[in-house]
Amino acid sequence: MIALTMIARVVDGLPLAASIEEDEQSGRDLQQYQSQAKQLCRKLNTQSPDRCTLEAGDMDFHYLIAQGICYLCLCEASFPKKIAFAYLEDLHNEFYDQYGKKVNTAMRPYSFIEFDTYIQKTKKTYVDSRARRNLGSINTELHDVQRIMVANIEEVLQRGEALSVLDTKASNLSTLSKKYRSDAKYLNTRSAYAKVAAVAVFFITLIIYLRFWWL
Amino acid sequence: MSTAGFNSQNGTGTGQAYANGPSQNPVGLQQLPGVSYGMTHQPTYNPMQAKAPAPPGPGLYPTAAYQSGPPVSSYQSGPAHTSYPPPPGQPLLTRPAMGTPPSHTPPQSASPNHGPRMPLPRATPPPPAVSSSSYYSNPQQQPIAPSWQYNTAPAPMGPPPSLSAPPCGPLANHTNPSSSSTVPPPPTLTAYSSPQPAYGSHSATQPPGPRMPSTSHLGYTQPGAAPPPLNPMLSHTYQPSRPAYGPPPTGPPPLGPPPAGPSPAMTSTPPSTAPPLANVTPPPPKADAQCREAVNSTLSPTEPDCQESDIECPGTLAGNGPQSPNNFNSIDNKMAGLPQPGLPGRHLGHYPSLPPGYQNAAAPHKPTSPMHPTMQAATQPYSQTTQPYQQPHGGPGPAQLSPSLAALSLQSSSPEALRVVNLLQERNLLPPGPIPAPTPCLPQDLQKINCNPEVFRCTLTSIPQTQSLLNKAKMPLGLLLHPFKDLSLPVVTSSTIVRCRSCRTYINPFVSFLDQRRWKCNLCYRVNDVPEEFMYNPVSRSYGEPHKRPEVQNATIEFIAPSEYMLRPPQPAVYLFLLDVSHNAVETGYLTVFCQSLLDNINALPGDSRTKVGFITFDSTIHFYNLQEGLSQPQMLIVSDIEDIFLPTPDSLLVNLNECKELVQDLLRSLPSLFEKTMETQSALGSALQAAFKLLSPTGGRMSVFQTQLPNLGVGALQSREDPNQRASAKDIQHLSPATDFYKKLALDCSGQQVAVDLFLLSSQYCDLASLGCISRYSAGSVYYYPSYHHQHNPAQVERFQKELKRYLTRKIGFEAVMRIRCTKGLSIHTFHGNFFVRSTDLLSLPNVNPDAGFAVQMSIEENLDDMQVVSFQAALLYTSSKGERRIRVHTLCLPVVNSLSDVFAGADVQAMAGLLACMAVDRSVTASLSDARDALTNAAIDSLSSYRQSVLTIQQPGLLAPACLRFFPLYVLALLKQKAYRTGTSTRLDERVFAMCQLKYQPLAYAMLMIHPALYRVDDLTDEGALNINERTIPQPRVLQLSVEKLSREGAFLMDTGMVLYLWIGRNCHPNFLTQVLGVPSYATVPENLYLLPELDTAESQRIRAFIGWLRDQRPFFPTLHVIRDESQLKASFMQNMIEDRTESALSYYEFLLHLQQQISK
Repeated sequence: MIALTMIARVVDGLPLAASIEEDEQSGRDLQQYQSQAKQLCRKLNTQSPDRCTLEAGDMDFHYLIAQGICYLCLCEASFPKKIAFAYLEDLHNEFYDQYGKKVNTAMRPYSFIEFDTYIQKTKKTYVDSRARRNLGSINTELHDVQRIMVANIEEVLQRGEALSVLDTKASNLSTLSKKYRSDAKYLNTRSAYAKVAAVAVFFITLIIYLRFWWL
Repeated sequence: MSTAGFNSQNGTGTGQAYANGPSQNPVGLQQLPGVSYGMTHQPTYNPMQAKAPAPPGPGLYPTAAYQSGPPVSSYQSGPAHTSYPPPPGQPLLTRPAMGTPPSHTPPQSASPNHGPRMPLPRATPPPPAVSSSSYYSNPQQQPIAPSWQYNTAPAPMGPPPSLSAPPCGPLANHTNPSSSSTVPPPPTLTAYSSPQPAYGSHSATQPPGPRMPSTSHLGYTQPGAAPPPLNPMLSHTYQPSRPAYGPPPTGPPPLGPPPAGPSPAMTSTPPSTAPPLANVTPPPPKADAQCREAVNSTLSPTEPDCQESDIECPGTLAGNGPQSPNNFNSIDNKMAGLPQPGLPGRHLGHYPSLPPGYQNAAAPHKPTSPMHPTMQAATQPYSQTTQPYQQPHGGPGPAQLSPSLAALSLQSSSPEALRVVNLLQERNLLPPGPIPAPTPCLPQDLQKINCNPEVFRCTLTSIPQTQSLLNKAKMPLGLLLHPFKDLSLPVVTSSTIVRCRSCRTYINPFVSFLDQRRWKCNLCYRVNDVPEEFMYNPVSRSYGEPHKRPEVQNATIEFIAPSEYMLRPPQPAVYLFLLDVSHNAVETGYLTVFCQSLLDNINALPGDSRTKVGFITFDSTIHFYNLQEGLSQPQMLIVSDIEDIFLPTPDSLLVNLNECKELVQDLLRSLPSLFEKTMETQSALGSALQAAFKLLSPTGGRMSVFQTQLPNLGVGALQSREDPNQRASAKDIQHLSPATDFYKKLALDCSGQQVAVDLFLLSSQYCDLASLGCISRYSAGSVYYYPSYHHQHNPAQVERFQKELKRYLTRKIGFEAVMRIRCTKGLSIHTFHGNFFVRSTDLLSLPNVNPDAGFAVQMSIEENLDDMQVVSFQAALLYTSSKGERRIRVHTLCLPVVNSLSDVFAGADVQAMAGLLACMAVDRSVTASLSDARDALTNAAIDSLSSYRQSVLTIQQPGLLAPACLRFFPLYVLALLKQKAYRTGTSTRLDERVFAMCQLKYQPLAYAMLMIHPALYRVDDLTDEGALNINERTIPQPRVLQLSVEKLSREGAFLMDTGMVLYLWIGRNCHPNFLTQVLGVPSYATVPENLYLLPELDTAESQRIRAFIGWLRDQRPFFPTLHVIRDESQLKASFMQNMIEDRTESALSYYEFLLHLQQQISK
């Protein structure tokens, strides 16, 4: 089963089209996966591997990057990887045909949401086990699928976070040290004043003493 | 809104957000009687409180309280009085000469009030003591005034505070303007006037130059610019213009001075005349000043001062009338106003028994006019102000005069909205055309960009500073919205939408820019950074002018939302039709009309290539239609297990419209014949709804239910609860609340899945709309009701159904919407009216939003708005368009804050109040009882008018006095009492009553007002005079007549527009010319019985009336049917029931109602 399909622009992670399998049937709450998918699209950049499978619990994300566009789908872990990537390839061919030139000028999210119709149809043919048999020819072309990198979604998503945590810690540290510096300065001046004051008081009392009692 | 907030806003989130909803529901939606109806029980609008103040009054008021209270004291003493105590005509006769002469004098009192601001007057004419006395008298009276039913309720707030508050107020007003750069505080007339008094005193001593005043005005208007020191100067300038009027009424303790005073003023060279007058005696000059003020304000066109004043506050001046002769109100006022002055004296004695003013409104005017020809000429345009003036002369003896004069002078300069109207004497209040919404007293530059009142309107265009002041005014405070109105808006696409970081307000025209890089939120006053992107202005292609961005130039704007605003990809447009095909339904023949309409409009359904449609029919079983691509014809799947409903096939019940259009069209062509011979009489609506919900829940969308009978099978079955014999009973109406919560629960489920249910009820029998309506109410759907629908017997309904269905199918639609209304800190929104589900305190969940939906909210003031000159309200509607775009539509309304009761009254928007009261009364009649709701409506009128009488009027006078801005209030309240929704004693079907209630809550104000107070036109003598010209069509504009049989004549033909229905009443002796030229019949007797279409004759008369009717219809989203009726027609009764000013067996006439109000007020 393909639960979720998403097409996004790699440069800024802008979603271009998406399709959701009715969660009524599967009874699964896709909300969390959706936000993961969105985050993932934002994390990906041109340096990311072209094809990758990310494990997220009992589901797998598969994505494919081509021509600056990322095609992402969420399937059950048991769903054949081959077919998933064949499906993504298929989407890419059609999507690039239809909208390839407009991708870079898209401004608003889901500009090509109408592609959903095609996604849903294609999905049906890939998910349907009877139709799957007819796809045998495609499958063989994808023999190199075995070499696709596998990683865990959490790791991918948190990679950036660790850095940002480090960054915030560092900045905290620097503000703290600044504060310490100013505090120290303040304390120094205060103690200096206190010393001066003590000396002054001493002399004043001395003078007064001399003036009134000595004489 | 935090990010969490976002999520909820997106609304799609089914899980949590939804969960919140249902649970809250009971609280939010079903308002407890007390809560919902703020008027009586709640603190917000506490009648109680208002009363409370009065009692203390007598004792406390005397000196301190009053003096401190700027509004009152200042006014009397100075010219300001004139402005505030609006009532020009009223006071004259009634009061014995209490302290009239003195009242004017007390310059001292005035100066102290203004003290902080103003320099002391050089020469302070000191007749102070007396003036105060006059005031006292009032307070004393106040206590006397009886409290209405409200009194019984506990008064949460302390009334006394209100008194104390005022003192601060004036100062604040004046000072603020100068200090605050952003908001020039609304120099409403009142505000304006109040300062004047101070000036006036100054002026008396110094002969001011005419020019000077202008500058002073400017200073006032533009707070930022005007430094305080200028004020003295200003005062001088003012003098010249104002003095003229003042003297006659008040100044001249004896009559002597007055005549002279007025005439000079009239001459239009105020400056020259003024000085001499001043010399005479201190008191008189002041009076003069006052008068002149009044004159100036009214006459302004000729005088420089006035013009400037215009600039300052255009709105107010326009309201006054002089400036804008076009203004209907002003004209009308004249008409009304004139009679007042003349009559009062004579009538005082009688009027309780007779409505003197009623018959001869115009007459009085003439007698008075001769007295001061010059005056009249000058004043005529501004009739309101001048009238008071005239009165003294025509009126009673000298003894009476002096007090009356004093009153007059005070009122003479009052803003139009506060002009006192004696409702018992003025009959012809209705303006000839539509009543425009009042303009908030904001500086012109703010007002120019303020939100359109058709979209966003407040019952009080001047927000009281404190809750206690609001309680004292006893008027409901609330907003009326029409957020998704069809408009062409500027649309902004940007990756970041600039919002306040703490309250999430969208940037709007009323924020202030501290500098180029920072802006201050106008709702929470937090200072925010301007993002880099915002510095560039895409419109002018310039950089560094954030205040020129469209967001900051338009109060209504639409944003394309970035992906943060969506939890899931935008849903496609999904339409599911749920059709009743039982025997009863087939009998009505609606199916043919529906299918034909849908076939005709199938290409006009809003949507893109993803649009999906589906059909379900039901009788005692549920029929699904498989429309999968590739089938040669639609396949019907019947599910007879209605107890545990399931979908026979997971997909292909909802199909892509573009791909399966052929099949859909096939189905629509065959549907009507499919069930032609059915004998199934039962209806399993509940199960059908459940099935439809299952079908739609994955995507969300719109479900259109067509039902023709009471559902009587399976879940959600209902029983008839109406006893036809009780329809006319005056006793309480039962069964206004739902019989089962099945529909409400289902609606909440739907709301959680972004499904809205629209209900079309076509039935001749009782259908329990009160229960069925819940399905639409909580899912943000709409309800259409076609009583007695039949394809042969009721062609008018068929036409209406066709037209409305067309509009319904093709109108704009927004999916998975949420709306949030924010308001400035200190105000809080507590009750919502309309069709929606309240998901969190201020978030309305709207699975669908359509352009014909209106909303209302009630507000209270939680914290004092002390240091604010303006408050803002922002409604943000986030929705998915039918093209799959996520958009945010933002409306921002800005209103001034005032601190005196008279200003609050001056800003009342009577139509909005009527609309809000109607909504509140619906809640009340459901949660309590109809008679409770009726009482509450009456009390609303009594309370606000008695509060006005006790707290604002300085001089008491018999009669039912109302400020001009509230002059329609009793009429609207009476109209509501006679509205189908609330009337008693007249036979009304329960469903029609409930439907009327739905409409009152759901219709935008403009349409609801017609339902409340229909418009009556005489149409047999239409001319092109004053006609509109739209698209090359000439549309005559007949005058709106009062709803009274006395306005009908047998020689004429009259058109009544009740919103949903148009009646064309033909008089028995109607001119044959009209009959032949318009109706195409030779004589009255041959007018056909059920005529609902005007023949398209090629005559000028026919074209005119058809153009007029067409124009009326084009203005609204529903289709009013036309009925041509004669005396014998069956519909004559319903026509006559709309004559709300007349007496019926069970209801009071307008005049009787006014007497009743008066009795309650003076009790």
